[in-house]
Amino acid sequence: MVEAFSSLYEGILIAITPENILYCFIGCMVGMLVGVLPGIGPSEATALLIPLSYGLDSVTAIIMLCGIYYGGMYGGTITSVLINTPGEAASVITCLDGYPLAMQGRAGVALKVAAVGSFVGGISSTFGLALLGPAVADFALSFGPSELFALLVFGMSTVIGLMGKSLIRGLIAVCIGLSLALVGMDPISGTIRYGFGIRELVSGLDVVTLSMGLFGLSEILVGMENLSVAGKATAINSSKLLPEEVRPTVMSIIRGSFLGFFMGLIPGTSSAVPALISYSMEKNLSKHPEKFGTGVPEGVAGPETANNSYVGGAMIPLFTLGIPCSPTIAILMGAFMMHGMTPGPTLFITNPDVIWGTIASMFVGNIILLILNLPLAGMWAKLADVPSKLLYPVVLIVAMMGAYTVDNSVFGIVVMLISGVIGYALKKLDIPLAPTILVFVLADMMEQNLLQSLKINSGIGGLFKSTTALVLLIASVVVITFSLIAELKNKKSALLTHDE
Amino acid sequence: MKRVFSIFLVLSLFLAPLAFAEDAAAKFPEREIRIIVPYDAGGASDMTSRIIATGLEAALKGTVLVENRSGGSGSVGMTYARESAADGHTICYIPVELVMQKILGISDLVPEDFAFIGRLTEVPAALTVKSDDDRFNSVDDFIKYAQANPGKVTVGNSGTGSIWHIAATRLEEETQTQFNHIPYDGAAPAVTSLMGGHIDAVTVNPGEVLAGVEAGKLKVLALMTEERDTVSFADIPTLKESGIDVVIGGWGAMGVPKDTPQAVVDKLSAALEQAASTEEFKKFIAERGMIVHYMDAASATEFIDEQAVFFNDMLSNMDLD
Repeated sequence: MVEAFSSLYEGILIAITPENILYCFIGCMVGMLVGVLPGIGPSEATALLIPLSYGLDSVTAIIMLCGIYYGGMYGGTITSVLINTPGEAASVITCLDGYPLAMQGRAGVALKVAAVGSFVGGISSTFGLALLGPAVADFALSFGPSELFALLVFGMSTVIGLMGKSLIRGLIAVCIGLSLALVGMDPISGTIRYGFGIRELVSGLDVVTLSMGLFGLSEILVGMENLSVAGKATAINSSKLLPEEVRPTVMSIIRGSFLGFFMGLIPGTSSAVPALISYSMEKNLSKHPEKFGTGVPEGVAGPETANNSYVGGAMIPLFTLGIPCSPTIAILMGAFMMHGMTPGPTLFITNPDVIWGTIASMFVGNIILLILNLPLAGMWAKLADVPSKLLYPVVLIVAMMGAYTVDNSVFGIVVMLISGVIGYALKKLDIPLAPTILVFVLADMMEQNLLQSLKINSGIGGLFKSTTALVLLIASVVVITFSLIAELKNKKSALLTHDE
Repeated sequence: MKRVFSIFLVLSLFLAPLAFAEDAAAKFPEREIRIIVPYDAGGASDMTSRIIATGLEAALKGTVLVENRSGGSGSVGMTYARESAADGHTICYIPVELVMQKILGISDLVPEDFAFIGRLTEVPAALTVKSDDDRFNSVDDFIKYAQANPGKVTVGNSGTGSIWHIAATRLEEETQTQFNHIPYDGAAPAVTSLMGGHIDAVTVNPGEVLAGVEAGKLKVLALMTEERDTVSFADIPTLKESGIDVVIGGWGAMGVPKDTPQAVVDKLSAALEQAASTEEFKKFIAERGMIVHYMDAASATEFIDEQAVFFNDMLSNMDLD
């Protein structure tokens, strides 16, 4: 551990050279910009900037490209909060309480809380990366298909808590999400399900275009019904937390950092999973769970912290084992290779300056991003004041451009438009959208891992042989049972009050 | 006079397109060239294309961009490229998956849809296991164990019907063994699973296991190539050395839509050869565990046609489970 500190010190010296700070800044800015624009994600931006990085010194190049990655996590919040349009799966959770806060004129609160949370998440997970790295890498490897399946089941069980007042409607949402996830190639046999002969459907629907349509477009469609009414209610325009909100928010940030960090270690998850589990955790631990969904700051802070600390955790398998946990990390890995380095434990020996310089620059980057986001939060929040008549067309165009860039194909726009209409219908029927998209994200991974586990163990035994998997499955049952009991209690008291 | 004149006119009408073609080649490239990569950014095909793009820019003195259009085992990108204007401004990275599209029922793409400008790399399959797995210290150990335990040895691949799955199946056929094939979404998750001890082996390309080998967690038992690769894997035997005649792997080539004028194709081929001979390219390919094995347009076309026959025969007789 001691040598970690001295290596870190060396790394900091590297990270704070003017050139490296400049490129770190560029990376963060690009990342944020890209995060704000729905559709283009950090992965595309990283890939686009790799050629630009050739002329740079290896460390500088990697610093810049990493900056894009975690910068993107900061930017994704803005569109989720202001226009209910998540740019990627992780931001979907932020919409749940972020957008209601914006509607109450408290967009500034949401953005500020998210910025601080993201900062804490980023910094703490970078510390974790620096100090714990190699030690926890083996923990990551212990997660095979059985364990991963159990973890995803656990994540799915927490979705129950998001179903809102009507369990039936929530279950319908889950079914819709599962049906959408069915589209695509069967992982084991390769048969194409619901392809309708359309080539683009062979690999299934894309979560970004789906969520942009389900959330963003449907919001516009609903808003257009009463366009004559003033766009948004902005009676209060404060960016301050109410005193009773401070403690839950702080706690959610602390919990979120741990959660995101450990989830980042597990290969095969995406940043949506820690965000989801953080939200459910906060709701279940809260003194006023029924308020979630109406604009509760800790419902934004927790998930935002979790998805940023996920980044730090996800770097660990990359640096220590050379395993990329997500598409963006895979590109980062490619960038390493383009500069002649192979990420893995030998990199610590052959190029320690690159590793430690990069880690140290993550501290710098997070500081830069906090400085960029905190004061700007108020400015972004003003965007919520723009009358819908003007805002909607702009959002629509940006969303359509974003949908196109996902796979350089008009088909993405088609998917977004159709899911927008579906989202509108769901909103009218009061069917919650969050479970739909979250189930969609989880179902794919769940099916793959379940089938792999079944094949490896020639049966369902694998799930019970592994302690980790067993624990997670039992936890899922517990969570579902408690959620159901809570729902029934609510219904009972609702019925009682009705009778009176 | 009038007749001569009219004959001349008719003749010139036939010759005019030739002039345009020459013109087209002379002016080529008139705008930016795009390399369509039918896979996501960050993968081997993507990175290879990006390095080639910089090489092509130098050779053609123009802008070359890389565009990712992934999906459908490469069919989305390749079909898009096939249907682009045949003026040489849209090149496609063509992986081995092209020759398997029709027989696997994924799409109607066939090699005849493209005019190949060259083959760049060979991507061999490597039989890899955990380094501390005492059951397998050599290929012979592995095969003997598999023969004694049919259906028990789990071998990971990058997807059902992927080249790595087929490689493992070829190995089964040749050695009368039966593996338990576990499909993953790409090679990286399979390698991760192997490192965690959840599966017994993988048959993916060396580049994906390099980091694990260097970390001391994995060991490559054999490469499925014709002869040893003296550049990067001098001490890894081939399957052939153990008496198993299995030579199989992927490859990466570049192609344009089939009706592209020959003069443009020639210009692109020359530029590609230049791009593939740079030290930078060779170093990068070697580091990613692939083999630079450049083939010019004519050889590449012949090779790919042979591959089409090879895979069609094999796959129609194979029972991919």
